[in-house]
Amino acid sequence: MLQGAIAGLAAGGLYAVLGVCLTLMSRLVRVVNFAQAATGMFGAFSAVWFVRELDLPIWLGSVLGVLVAGLLSAAIGFIAATWLSEASTTTRSAMTVGPLLLLISMSFILFGNKPQPFTPIIAGPAFSFGGVVISQVTVATVAMAIVTAIVVRIVLRRTRVGTQLRALSERPTTAELLGIRSRPLSIAVWFVTGVISAMAIMIVAPSQSNDATSLSMLIVPAAAAALLGGFRRLDLAVIGGIVLGVLGGLVAQIDEVALVRNFLPFLFIVVLLLWTQRKEVWDAAR
Amino acid sequence: MNKRASGTAALIAVAALTLAGCTGAGDGSGGDGAPIVVGSVNTISGPATFPEASQAAAAVFDAFNEAGGLDGRTIDYKTLDDKGDPATATASARELVGSDGAVALVGSASLIECEINAKYYEQEGILSLPGIGVDTGCFASDNISPANVGPFNDMTLTLQYGSEVLGLDDICILLEIAGSTRPTYQAAIDKWTEITGKEPKYVDDTVPYGASDYTPYIVKARDQGCKALAINPVEPDAIGQVKAANAQGWDDVTWLYLTSVYSENFADAIDNAGAGIYVPAEFYPFTDDNEINADWRALMEKNDIALTSFSQGGYLAATYFIEVLKSIDGDITRESVSEALKSMDPIENPMVGTPFAFGTQNTAGWPIILKSGTNAWEKVADDWLRIGE
Repeated sequence: MLQGAIAGLAAGGLYAVLGVCLTLMSRLVRVVNFAQAATGMFGAFSAVWFVRELDLPIWLGSVLGVLVAGLLSAAIGFIAATWLSEASTTTRSAMTVGPLLLLISMSFILFGNKPQPFTPIIAGPAFSFGGVVISQVTVATVAMAIVTAIVVRIVLRRTRVGTQLRALSERPTTAELLGIRSRPLSIAVWFVTGVISAMAIMIVAPSQSNDATSLSMLIVPAAAAALLGGFRRLDLAVIGGIVLGVLGGLVAQIDEVALVRNFLPFLFIVVLLLWTQRKEVWDAAR
Repeated sequence: MNKRASGTAALIAVAALTLAGCTGAGDGSGGDGAPIVVGSVNTISGPATFPEASQAAAAVFDAFNEAGGLDGRTIDYKTLDDKGDPATATASARELVGSDGAVALVGSASLIECEINAKYYEQEGILSLPGIGVDTGCFASDNISPANVGPFNDMTLTLQYGSEVLGLDDICILLEIAGSTRPTYQAAIDKWTEITGKEPKYVDDTVPYGASDYTPYIVKARDQGCKALAINPVEPDAIGQVKAANAQGWDDVTWLYLTSVYSENFADAIDNAGAGIYVPAEFYPFTDDNEINADWRALMEKNDIALTSFSQGGYLAATYFIEVLKSIDGDITRESVSEALKSMDPIENPMVGTPFAFGTQNTAGWPIILKSGTNAWEKVADDWLRIGE
């Protein structure tokens, strides 16, 4: 039972990292980026291609792959910042469905529809106590989620760029009138989240199913995680991701409810939405 | 001649050629010298694809046509893509059988086609000889007889190999269920129990297709004391399962998989195979450089088709079909072809363990293993493993 719950932690850490990225995007550049996991997937696949086809060393291939993901994300950000700067969050978010589908198709065309032969950067069990094994991937993803959330928080609170970003997200017009240049800043946010999600996916991809579709669809549990924090709070996004992963691990151990596991992120989303809307009457909620 | 006039002339020429082509094929199987229309319905696009079987069959038919065909009559092989979509699969079958006047369907490989079109084929009195039968329907209809063993007999074989040859106890079965395949898998497991008297430690049929992380299922199996896992996944899922066990440090588990994971891509992706990944290959192992596969290999390499079990299936289906076609006296019509297939003598081929006759099930696999660190499949037997032997 406990082992099952712990087993879900690796996935939970990944959901948490992606959830943090989603939260960041939603707060700073007013978008729910559906292509978040897909850009990471594409970066990771490029890394495999660099290593296998160009015979680059693994570290260099990985760095280039991460850059590819960052640039792709920045390109989507450029579109959002240039042509959809005045659009509503809904419109901007809907736009990201395009890159999601495009990236999945592109990876089928460029890399084939077979899973990629990743060489693991980290693999194997890290340590175990009382018969409960904790894999290195689990340690890496959970740590990455927490570190990302903390670093982002420090940057936003303590640095000049952070202040500018907050100003832009809360009073965009005022900030621009004060001379803060919004476009480069928001494209930078896109770039950074692209880089972070590619790194997370590269850590996890070698240890799980790694075809284009299953990696891109990680966006669903990630969105569920971000929803716990209402797409505003980073700490709750981290907790949401980890709870979701642990629940997934637990549920698979109990035969009676194992079937639910596939729908867990959706259940999570529905329950959260019902809870957050509990005091609203129908008209007001709309 | 000015540019426009030459363009018009070219157009007219093309139109004339097209029309001539139409009248040639239009009377279907009637006249002497008209091509024999053979069809196939395949899943070529979509998340799970099976393109190699019909490509291989096409290569066989092309070679047959080049060598003069059937006394000068060529085979016109039409392949359609059902996109894994039921409506398209239905429409494709009607196009091939209804309008194109196919005499038989050969070398198909589709995720869903058999189950959807079996009734229609019965109605129209047409027989289908799929290269790779995937869904339950391929193994349940009198009008469909695939060249391959199929996932259900494959499951019985892999279990039999695990318990009888490897002497494993505590085999756990994890099933990925799509559509209505659950009862058929149960029948396959029951058949194993009947033959060997062994029972699975437990059967978990909630394992999802295409999950991103299989760790919880692997952890559960380990906690319950499973020594071996028999699973029926598609290739990406199998990689995920083995990697999940690697991450847990579970290095003494034996994997009993099906032919669906038998590929070089899979071998490349797996470094740590635990106590070994065993598969009863449905056709003579293609990773083994042997005389038995030489003709198939040469043809595939010439046509640049992937060397996989799927292309072996397509190749065999087309080869069987040509042999039956040659045995027919008189007109080649849908009726005469169906008649000939139903009454055919079994065809022996060293690429399969069971001689092929329409309607008999293939029940033999050649055991192969993928060991840790080798990244390559090896044979572990000198002969076919047959169900019940």
